[in-house]
Amino acid sequence: MIDTACVRDRLKAHAPLLLGGLILAALPILGGAYAQRVFTLAGIYALMVIGYQLIFGHAGAFSLAQGAFFGLGAYAAGIAAVHFGWAFPLTFALAIAFPLAVAALVAIPVLRLESHYFALATLGLAESAWLVGTNWAAVTGGANGLAGVPPIVIAGWTVARGWPLLLFVWCLVAIGGAMASARTRGLTGLSYRLVRERPLAAASVGIDGGRLRTLAFIASAGYAGAAGALFAHSLGVVSPDTLAFPVMVSCLTMAVIGGRARIAGAILGAVLLIHLPEWLRGLEAYYLIAYGAAALAVVIAAPDGIIGAIERLRPKRPIATPDAVGRPRRAAPPTGDRSRESESPILRLDGVSKSFGGVRAVDGVSLTVLRGEILGLIGPNGSGKTTLVNLLTGLYRADSGRIRFDDHDVTGRLAFDIARLGMSRSFQAPELIEEASLLDNVAAGDRGRSEHPPLIRGLSIEDRRLGEARAHAFDMLVRFAMAARANDAARTLGPALRRRAEIARALMSGPRLLVLDEPSAGSSSEEAAELAAILSDVAREGVTVLVIDHNLPFLARFATRLACLEVGRLIADGAPADVRAHPRVVEAYLGRPDGAA
Amino acid sequence: MATLAAQLLLNALALGSAYALVALGFVLVINAVGAVNFAHGDLVMAGGFVSIALAQVAPDAGFFLLPLVLIAMAALGLLFSAIAYFPLRSRPPVAVFISTIATGIMLQNGANALFGAAPRAGPAIAGKGMIAIEGLLLDRQSLAIIAAAAILIGGCHLVFTRTRTGRRLRATAEDPELARLSGIPVPGMIALTFALATALAGTAGLLLSNQYFVTPDEGMALMLKAYIAVVIGGWGRLGGALLGAVIIALFEVVVATLLSQPMAEGLLYAALLGILLVRPQGLFGEALGRRA
Repeated sequence: MIDTACVRDRLKAHAPLLLGGLILAALPILGGAYAQRVFTLAGIYALMVIGYQLIFGHAGAFSLAQGAFFGLGAYAAGIAAVHFGWAFPLTFALAIAFPLAVAALVAIPVLRLESHYFALATLGLAESAWLVGTNWAAVTGGANGLAGVPPIVIAGWTVARGWPLLLFVWCLVAIGGAMASARTRGLTGLSYRLVRERPLAAASVGIDGGRLRTLAFIASAGYAGAAGALFAHSLGVVSPDTLAFPVMVSCLTMAVIGGRARIAGAILGAVLLIHLPEWLRGLEAYYLIAYGAAALAVVIAAPDGIIGAIERLRPKRPIATPDAVGRPRRAAPPTGDRSRESESPILRLDGVSKSFGGVRAVDGVSLTVLRGEILGLIGPNGSGKTTLVNLLTGLYRADSGRIRFDDHDVTGRLAFDIARLGMSRSFQAPELIEEASLLDNVAAGDRGRSEHPPLIRGLSIEDRRLGEARAHAFDMLVRFAMAARANDAARTLGPALRRRAEIARALMSGPRLLVLDEPSAGSSSEEAAELAAILSDVAREGVTVLVIDHNLPFLARFATRLACLEVGRLIADGAPADVRAHPRVVEAYLGRPDGAA
Repeated sequence: MATLAAQLLLNALALGSAYALVALGFVLVINAVGAVNFAHGDLVMAGGFVSIALAQVAPDAGFFLLPLVLIAMAALGLLFSAIAYFPLRSRPPVAVFISTIATGIMLQNGANALFGAAPRAGPAIAGKGMIAIEGLLLDRQSLAIIAAAAILIGGCHLVFTRTRTGRRLRATAEDPELARLSGIPVPGMIALTFALATALAGTAGLLLSNQYFVTPDEGMALMLKAYIAVVIGGWGRLGGALLGAVIIALFEVVVATLLSQPMAEGLLYAALLGILLVRPQGLFGEALGRRA
């Protein structure tokens, strides 16, 4: 529904951006030829920064290779044009394809690395590119670079310097921005956010974080290459400076100052920082120091950049509207293969062991979970319960033994892969996106529709998918009796609700087996009772539940079977009453009354 | 031939000693704060220029430049941590990456503005020329570099193992949270770690400046070498990093002699990518585990 008030609100909300855009556009209009040249350069940088936001802002990987990809693009275009006489459309395509291919090649070794490794490995890549550029003189022109790169000519039409080139570059910025936006907004954007901030949680609902990061890395290289080609053709020369670290520094500074994950941030950052030397010309040699100081100041004072700071000033529109409550709930969660609900095992562990250093955390555990049951796994602290969960959900790799889930051998498979087979989990310390709303935290579990995003997707489709995921998530919140908090940021939730949010998110991915790590910790006994009722309800719909907890009264409310671990070994397994009366279980809990945890 | 080989080996050891100082400071900071200091190489460069400036004031200081540079750079390290680390202590490591890069740019361009972009030769700490030992002619400066690095690394080892402050520094590096609970003033220890790491980096700058010159933009390459040393030696392991530094220097000197200097550096980065592909935990392994 669009009404005029809504349009007015939107205009008001975007007013600072519109105003800023007008002021920026005035720069080349009021200035002369020189101002147009500077503004064209800003557009080229904006294109590189939009690409950089994919890997840095969305995938959350701190790449230091974007500057090198820019240089590789510039050289690819320059060499193809100067040595081989290629026309612009071809040099442009090559300038995108070459860094893209390099990125795809190095993505395999570098992307699985942790953040600091990744950053430094990409820096190594950048330094190698610079060495090749300066030393392979026969092809690159060495330290002198390549001169005589022709201007852009498309089908006989020469894009002259000045206004035509400026508009051409900024049209490409608009196209690039729209493409990047289509791939990173909506539900996919939410998946990226989960991968970036809570990678374990992302894997637990079946999001392949490695794939998202690889795609972002490769795409970012393509953007940098395109920018490099425009740079080479508009300046007419390619020098080793295009491969040198200052390009990367500029790109990073622009993304940090403008904003890491917003197209407007990329544009604002590029325009500001390209003009900064002009405005700071009085400082002469010291202007780069001012550059560094500005970046430092923004990192400290405005972690989300200028655009982030502006967005924070705006009032937030609530995403979950109260009228959604009245809507009939969608029948069942997308799960529950009831027809197969029988005495056949859904999960089978065979002699599974795991050691850390010299400590056997899990020692030859064999255990089966039957379809449709609620198995409670108890055991004192340090008995290996969480390790066992991490083993069967693929976070750890077992030293020995096999794990079968449904009809699949999942021993040694990756966490996201196991989750896609239909096993989802919660964590002992909830893994929530602290700044996101409760609703979005739960909606992020809706992986089913975020798979395989097509290369270019319409903006509206992405938003619709997110809308559907949110509606589904809202139903889930109603079911977990926490819909009233839907719009609150996760960090404001108490411990009991944080755990419920995780369980709700896990259910969003439509699991057949739900594995819960201490879901009642931090809950009052009323809250625990309410949770037990909800979980019984979930199980009745056909979801098998494996729940780890200390809290025996809580488990006694709904578990259909109990098993007990002690120092990594299974010491009891059977009907709840039998296990609770088992002498070794009593011994393991000795000195503590039942359920004290 | 024997003289040439001995001279080469000595050069490699001297270079490796200086790299070892760089790598040691780099690892100390990583362990203490869980983040990479991207300005570490720029601090080495700053040490080189500080040495040049000090040598202008005291031209005959010789070996006594060493303590002067240590003190000046320790002070710079404290200032550095106050600007680039402490305001961002509660933020994710990436914020520290960016702030150290930004501070590095300020150092680099500050040096550029004050001293110019051209390479400058720093002061020699033990005079110029050769000395004859057992019939071999050996470069005095190289020997001095090795001696100075040995003294500093030995000194660090003594501090870490024999003093209360050293044990507290180690406890902070191993587990800051546990250290805090045991009553160790963690922020103070972190500031001290930055001072020590910067002092070591600065000394490396002094030691390298005479034979290898100083240029304002050399920081990134130096930081990368420290990083490669750490990758070879196993992330976070002090001994491994020192060994890695010597291996890098040997590789660099030998390949540069046989082929060329750019070739040596290029192959080093290629080797880095190769190691990361085959053994992401480092050549000598890393204790695996989730970093919270």
